[in-house]
Amino acid sequence: MASGISGYAAISSRVRAMYSDLLTPQDMTRLSESPDFASLLSALKATPYGKYLTGLKDNELTPRRVILQIKNRLADSFSSVVQQAPEQTRPLVKQLYRYFEVGNLKAVLRSIQTVSSWNTESSSWERVNEVLFPYGSFSSIPAQAMVESGNVGSAVELLKGTPYESTMSFAMKRFSAEQNLFPIEVALDLDYWRRLWAEAKKLSGKDREMAVKIIGSLLDMNNLMWVIRYKIYHKLSEEELINYTLPFGFRVRDEDVRAIAAGSDIADVVSRIYPTVADVGALLETPQSGLPKLEQQLKRQVVKQCMAAFIGDPFHIGIPLAYLLLSDFEIQDLIVLIEAKSSNVADEEYRPLLLKTSLVQ
Amino acid sequence: MFFPKEMSEVELIIPSKDIVAVAKVLSGHGVFHQVDSTYLGLESLGPSVWQDKAATYSALERRIQTIMQTLGVAEEYPTKADAESMVELDALTPAVNRIDEEVKGISEQLSTEKKRLELFESQLRQLEPIADVKVEVGALNKSSYLHSILGVVPASNISRLKTSIGRVPHVFFTLREDSQKPVVWVLGPKSNADVLDRAAKSAYLNPLSLPEEFAGTPEQITSTLKREIDATKKKIVNLETSILALADKHKTELQKLLWDAHVSRVMADAIVRFGQLRHTYVVVGWVPTASLENLTTKLKNTSKEVLIETHTPSRNDHNSNIPVALNENKWLRPFKELLTTYGRPSYGEFDPTILLAISFPLLYGAMFGDIGQGLVMMLAGYLAHNRIALKALQSIGLLFVYCGISVTFFGVMYGSIFGFEGHYVHDYLGFDLHPVWLSPIHGENILSVLRVAIDVGIIILFLSYLLSFFNNIRVKDWSHLLFGHTGVVAFLFFVCFLSLLGGFLGSTPIAPQVALTISQLPLPFNILTPIFALGLMFNGLFRNIAEGHKPYIEGGIAMFLVQSFMDLFEGVISMLSNTLSFVRVGAFAVAHGGLSLAIFALAGEEADLGFWITIALGNIFIIGFEGLIVYIQTMRLHYYEILGKFFHGGGMRFEPLKLKPSQEEA
Repeated sequence: MASGISGYAAISSRVRAMYSDLLTPQDMTRLSESPDFASLLSALKATPYGKYLTGLKDNELTPRRVILQIKNRLADSFSSVVQQAPEQTRPLVKQLYRYFEVGNLKAVLRSIQTVSSWNTESSSWERVNEVLFPYGSFSSIPAQAMVESGNVGSAVELLKGTPYESTMSFAMKRFSAEQNLFPIEVALDLDYWRRLWAEAKKLSGKDREMAVKIIGSLLDMNNLMWVIRYKIYHKLSEEELINYTLPFGFRVRDEDVRAIAAGSDIADVVSRIYPTVADVGALLETPQSGLPKLEQQLKRQVVKQCMAAFIGDPFHIGIPLAYLLLSDFEIQDLIVLIEAKSSNVADEEYRPLLLKTSLVQ
Repeated sequence: MFFPKEMSEVELIIPSKDIVAVAKVLSGHGVFHQVDSTYLGLESLGPSVWQDKAATYSALERRIQTIMQTLGVAEEYPTKADAESMVELDALTPAVNRIDEEVKGISEQLSTEKKRLELFESQLRQLEPIADVKVEVGALNKSSYLHSILGVVPASNISRLKTSIGRVPHVFFTLREDSQKPVVWVLGPKSNADVLDRAAKSAYLNPLSLPEEFAGTPEQITSTLKREIDATKKKIVNLETSILALADKHKTELQKLLWDAHVSRVMADAIVRFGQLRHTYVVVGWVPTASLENLTTKLKNTSKEVLIETHTPSRNDHNSNIPVALNENKWLRPFKELLTTYGRPSYGEFDPTILLAISFPLLYGAMFGDIGQGLVMMLAGYLAHNRIALKALQSIGLLFVYCGISVTFFGVMYGSIFGFEGHYVHDYLGFDLHPVWLSPIHGENILSVLRVAIDVGIIILFLSYLLSFFNNIRVKDWSHLLFGHTGVVAFLFFVCFLSLLGGFLGSTPIAPQVALTISQLPLPFNILTPIFALGLMFNGLFRNIAEGHKPYIEGGIAMFLVQSFMDLFEGVISMLSNTLSFVRVGAFAVAHGGLSLAIFALAGEEADLGFWITIALGNIFIIGFEGLIVYIQTMRLHYYEILGKFFHGGGMRFEPLKLKPSQEEA
């Protein structure tokens, strides 16, 4: 108990202060009622995201730039939590944060694959840098040098000495044979989640219990969506589905994943795991529109675990983890809003995708 | 001291011929925070040539770094500042090309040989597990009934691979256990070859790739490979010796080239963000006003025709785009760190570091008063701060010292030394110590301590409200000054609330004196309270109107009224909880005495060795455990009850142009 209190003294206060700065569902509703992108932007400036938008000139406030700027808030949150987290939990938080580095790595590789189709008004790196998560000094990948290397093989060579070296050495054999980034991306994902789960399992006591609940819920969502998507869209075989998924999680068990891989009815399996998720069968009938909705419902399960972390004993890693995930979900909502408003998407099309407002319905 | 450093905006018009010299002055002094002023330039001039130059310098710098890494030469920068000037690309590139050519030939050979060695060693390792198999490796793939896959697989995928082939008959051998690259052999009926292949592929199993020139049994191939490895190693040693010789030969030149390329790149990067006009450039940035004169003198000495316009904005405006340089005072550093953990003040905002420096030790000491434990904390803080001992706590050593002083002071007020109080001091320590104020643990003193704690809390809350007014007045944010959650209306309602609290508690010993005094003021609180309650209830609406917006009523009048009432209810609850929150200061002072009594109960009455060991351990426990809890409580009071009332933060960090990478990183 004493070590728990000492370790969480500063971070607990800090995270609760940051938590109170998250947008409320009412804030999100207000933002979503903005008639266009310009109004959304001025409404956004009045929120805690405002400080990330000041200093930019009006002509710089493009949807892409605004998205990049607001992501800085999440980067700041992670940076703050990583610095203040108790030593034994720091590897877990750092690994959780690495999610965005893995995303950056995938984006860099995709850009190298597609660079020839871009116009040359600005250099490739500038274009790529605009879509990368602002990972800052935590980054272990030489993103610019990779983009400038010009081909996937040389770019991957530059990953020597990084945590991705071993994974990439296996995946590159597949890439060389297939000239497709799919096996690389799957290998990176599997490696990321295995490491994250291992870090959660290394903890003890309340830290471990909360980390397994929160990280496990997030992993459940990903694992389940992977197996469903691979099955429906990629038509992968049973053995491939098993190899491209993970055998652990909080509620989703290996038997569930294997049942789907072996051909069991997906709706039955999902309903058995999440009895509160309604109409799974109907959602799966039209996967194009149904799967994002199903993912949304699974995200709500994660949000519930996160909210539960704030109740009771405050001296554990669950609170910082929960805050970081909620913060990430909030930014995902804002990205949906920004893209919808800048592309004049009708309200009824994007509103169901907003996690925060749907929680109060 | 009470505000971030005063900043001045500097706008320069520089003739094109002096641009490099000016960039050198701006980059070389670490006081100029550059603002991107490209938008002030003429778009018709097209992209700046400096953009290409900056990219070329950057590429050149990376190239030199790569050469240095290849040669194992450390990146060192000169300590003298007089070597800071931009060097033309023509002067740098030939030298870099020459060295690069020289190094490249050998390093490429070395790289090829290392790859060959790696390949041979990997093949050798792969063969080890099957070294005693007396069949030709190629023959495994020529079986009529069996499908065989021999290869390396990521260790983490083995279990999943086994699961994935569970539905077909198979034999699975792990031929070599390895945490990174284990070798496995999967055998199954030829009829299931497709399943086995798909499973192996999706588990990232890389089949062994033995070169065709190495035919024969594993033993024969191993022998050939070992000979090749020995020959390759000799080549590598020779090439590495050549690299070392090149490193010695070019070390000094490379370090100079790197510095020249780095300085040129930093300056070119700065120039890229200048606004380019036809014959001049426009530069905009911020400088601490104290350094302005020095900088302008240097600029004028550098360029006779430079036009310098400076403007020191008032702190009273909205200043979110002004970088914030906080005052550096080494004695206040721990409090600055406590503050910046919460937020960085914005430019016009009151910097509450000094307030924290007073209130933090004060509240800490009040909760933990003890002369002996305070002196121990001071000593521990001194040792940590000066890195004599407890080095891990160096960053908070000074905070320990300050809190220790306060703890000692309150120890004198409470008459407590290492937990000994009253007659215990005389009985066990042999001298008399009487509390200058009172002993919190004794009888009626408990309620007095709690009451005083609430009074102090109310005064601190008053101060926080006043600071909030001050900040809002400075930035002329009238709507928040009047109707913000710590605005005038909220404050006046808080005063009314205290009058009600004073009236309710009356002459009970817990009644805070400040609340009692307010309730006795000759003011019509029964009329004022509902007026300010309405003000608080509808402060969002009033704020909208004061800001010139149309009143925004969400979800209809009924819903709006319900929400407003809930806002008022929440306001009252938070005022009550904010006020009572300070009870903890008194409660911990009492608990401190209680914990000491518990230690004495464990120690017994006989002053033998066991007694003193128990007292010593008890004191260590109290300093470590209670000291920590009190620290958390003090921090909580500051973050929630004090800073949350008036401090907004969100200031932009002051990041001046600097040449030396170490300074930039710092």
